[in-house]
Amino acid sequence: MATEFHNLQELRHSASLANKVFVQRDYSEGTTCKFQTKFPSELESRIERTLFEDTVKTLNNYYAEAEKIGGQSYLEGCLACATAYLIFLCMETRYEKVLKKIAKYIQEQNEKVYAPRGLLITDPIERGMRVIEISIYEDRGSSGSSSGSSSVSGSTAR
Amino acid sequence: MPAAAAAAAAAAAGGGGGASLSPSAFIPVCTAACLLVASTSLFFVFTCPWLAVAVCPAVPPCCGILFLFVLANFTMATFMDAGVLPMANEDEDKDDEFRAPLYKNVDMRGVQVRMKWCASCHFYRPPRCSHCSVCDHCVEDFDHHCPWVNNCIGRRNYRYFFQFLLSLTVHMIGVFTFGLIYVLHHMDELWKLHCTVTLVVISISGLFLIPVLGLTGFHLYLVSRGRTTNEQVTGKFQGGVNPFTRGCCNNLEYLVCSPISPKYTARPREKTAIHIQPPFLRPGINRQLPAKVRDNGIQSQDVQNKESSVGAVDLSGVKHQASGPPPLPPKPDHGMLKSHLAAMDEMGHHIKTIIPVSIPTVPQLRPVLEAISRGSSPIPPEQLLKMSEQQVNNKSPNLRSESRESPARVSHLPPLQASAASSSLQLNSLTLSSRSLTLKHSSRHGSKSQLPAMHADGLGSNPPLGIISSSSLLAGHSSSSSSSLTYDNLVNPADPQFLTQRVAPPVGYHPHYMALGTDGTVVQRPAPHTYSPVFMGVSRQSPQPRDPSPSLQGLNSRDASPSFHGFIQREPSPAFQGLMPRDLASQSVASRDIPPPGLTMRDMTSQTLRDSLRDLGPQGLTPQKSAAAAARYDSFSKTLMASIHERREMEERDRMLRLQARSQALYGPDMGIYDIPSRRSLPPDNIRPPGSRGPTPPAYGSREFLMSTGILGYGMRTSPLSSSSTSSLTRGPKTSSSPLQSSSSSSLQSKGRSSSPAYCPPDRQTQPLPSSTSTLPRLSSSSTPSYASYATAKRSSLTYSSEGKDSVTLGALK
Repeated sequence: MATEFHNLQELRHSASLANKVFVQRDYSEGTTCKFQTKFPSELESRIERTLFEDTVKTLNNYYAEAEKIGGQSYLEGCLACATAYLIFLCMETRYEKVLKKIAKYIQEQNEKVYAPRGLLITDPIERGMRVIEISIYEDRGSSGSSSGSSSVSGSTAR
Repeated sequence: MPAAAAAAAAAAAGGGGGASLSPSAFIPVCTAACLLVASTSLFFVFTCPWLAVAVCPAVPPCCGILFLFVLANFTMATFMDAGVLPMANEDEDKDDEFRAPLYKNVDMRGVQVRMKWCASCHFYRPPRCSHCSVCDHCVEDFDHHCPWVNNCIGRRNYRYFFQFLLSLTVHMIGVFTFGLIYVLHHMDELWKLHCTVTLVVISISGLFLIPVLGLTGFHLYLVSRGRTTNEQVTGKFQGGVNPFTRGCCNNLEYLVCSPISPKYTARPREKTAIHIQPPFLRPGINRQLPAKVRDNGIQSQDVQNKESSVGAVDLSGVKHQASGPPPLPPKPDHGMLKSHLAAMDEMGHHIKTIIPVSIPTVPQLRPVLEAISRGSSPIPPEQLLKMSEQQVNNKSPNLRSESRESPARVSHLPPLQASAASSSLQLNSLTLSSRSLTLKHSSRHGSKSQLPAMHADGLGSNPPLGIISSSSLLAGHSSSSSSSLTYDNLVNPADPQFLTQRVAPPVGYHPHYMALGTDGTVVQRPAPHTYSPVFMGVSRQSPQPRDPSPSLQGLNSRDASPSFHGFIQREPSPAFQGLMPRDLASQSVASRDIPPPGLTMRDMTSQTLRDSLRDLGPQGLTPQKSAAAAARYDSFSKTLMASIHERREMEERDRMLRLQARSQALYGPDMGIYDIPSRRSLPPDNIRPPGSRGPTPPAYGSREFLMSTGILGYGMRTSPLSSSSTSSLTRGPKTSSSPLQSSSSSSLQSKGRSSSPAYCPPDRQTQPLPSSTSTLPRLSSSSTPSYASYATAKRSSLTYSSEGKDSVTLGALK
């Protein structure tokens, strides 16, 4: 979609994928799903630090809620067991419900915060909950040299 | 047979999924399944009826339930995704692929855990993740690959596997026990069918009970220790601390009560497309809105004005000099300009001193005047006289300063000397002022021709050198708004940056116009410095050669000298343009120096000039070329001068009349009084350079205005200059026209802004020209800034017009 309107007031260019940043998991508290809130350097000029951290923290909270071991998860297990797991055919697990909330949240964040800044967050579930993938887009029309090295995410210590 | 069916299915599926789908992989699972189901069925058929009677009727249901549990868990363990991690995209592993170290350490609860790079899946395996060679995928919390269920046991299905094991164990124990009871009770009927079957069942169950029990016990142990089979077998935490354990009870709790992990692969995706459309917000940058150039020219904008500041300073100096109402300068023609330039060279020093002023005033035009007088005498002495008279009247102060320079200059103009000694001064001032305007404008737009126009106009500014210098100045610093105060205000009110920047009060530009005595209030400022800014501006603007429009363009936009403005607008002499920028460029260095003849010639307008100079081409300001341009001009001088002169005369006359009429009306409210408004209101000039970029509307008030008001002796140069300047001002027109209209504020603004339009890609130049020139009231003060900003934006866009990046919408993503 390369539409360029030579409009005085607005120039519309198509955006092209320039780079991807990967926010890795934070394993400091075990294998529970938690992502690092460290601000990737590639996003320095693209988005405010606080916005990014808020997003990641909210996601972490969502995942913590999904993985919480408590009464609800136990009951769910018992119920599933009692019905010989046939209950899974008709009912959604708690985790799945939270995942839907997360997807909605990410969608909303993308629309409101990230897309206007030329960024895009990919749901971690699509990456096996290993990374949060943030795609960085460049204005193809305005910056020819978009794409920097699409270095792999924030691979941590090499 | 289930085994056969499974084998067939496996064969149909092909080799996908690794060995788990190969026919041989189904043997164990089929065997296990068969054994389990068969045995239990037999048990129920043959043994349970007696058990129900003999032991308890609840035995069979319980066994049934247990068996159901076993089956369910077995099914879940067999068919449930163990937590397969999808392979990483290419983007993720780009770097890791080639330079990835094998291990990556992460800290987990104080323990260093090593993450290994998975070559198959292209990512670093999360802790406890392992790659299953049978299934050829990484599994989260990988336990083992169980052949009996033909599935990996991982995070998601370990619970089911464990429960299967548990339930199977219990079931097997139950079956064995009850069968034994039955057999013991039927020892004498062992060879009967029921007993035989029961014997077989208990022997099978007894036989498989031992491994299953062992496995169950093993896994119980693992669960209590918080390990996986993989970790146990590889001895990972043999002597160390297991960071994954939560304690025996919690581990069990986790095992049983933890929520079911989601599947990572083959998820249903409902993607709503997210469109990513530039422009993008940027942190911090978004907040700073670029300084907006405002039309009123009052606000000085920072960014764009920065450059202009330098020029502005100069211009202001020049402006002062040219503040006196320059007499209508004789219409400059190229030849004249050339000679003027030559003259100006001598006078260069004068210009130097003047430079600080922004507006090229008459002094700047002086060279033109001189050239005119010297050459074909484009400006009839009487005109000169007339203009000079006006100038003298109006800007005596300016003249005074100019006179300093003019004498020297006048000497170069024999024809003028006599009559134009004073008039030349005036003319000079006029030209200078006009030139400063044009210069400013041109500098902004890289138009060169304006300078000559200035010269011709003889804005009563400083010596004709001013023209050249002014043009250079203008080119150099379109931004030199200050100097352009007078000029710019008149010429290019839409250049706020320039205007505002330097000159706090927009009126500043007017000085020399005022000096022209429109109202008689003139001259609040000393004229002489007017053209220096032009020079400065020119120098700065040299890169604006893109503007084929004559230098006047820049001047126009910036300077408020109506006459110049008119000149500029009207006479885009391409040749001049080409020359001017170059000259301007060189001039910028010299800035104060006499602009190369070519520059001055530029605005001399006339068609001939234009054509002749055209070959010089708008080549951008290159100092090197200026000399060449100058040389070229020499050749033109005669013919050009003549044509210019003729035209100028005509224009002058018209302008005078009109200006007179209009002067009052024009001095409108704001600033510039003498500026632009005249341009607009003035009737179109008679001079329409044929083929000029645009119809230089004679009405470019500048000329007539100046003439009539006597502010700027532009009248002289109206005709030749106007046409050439106008066309040259094409680019400028965007800015220049507006300045004309908006006078002071706009002039201030245009100053700053004109540079940007000047930078507008040449493609725009021709188009706007006609419009701009024809319709003075180009209220582009608003548009100018937009042009300015747009120019930059557009420029960048043009530059990067089509990159080959794949544009993506989110929906399409992934």
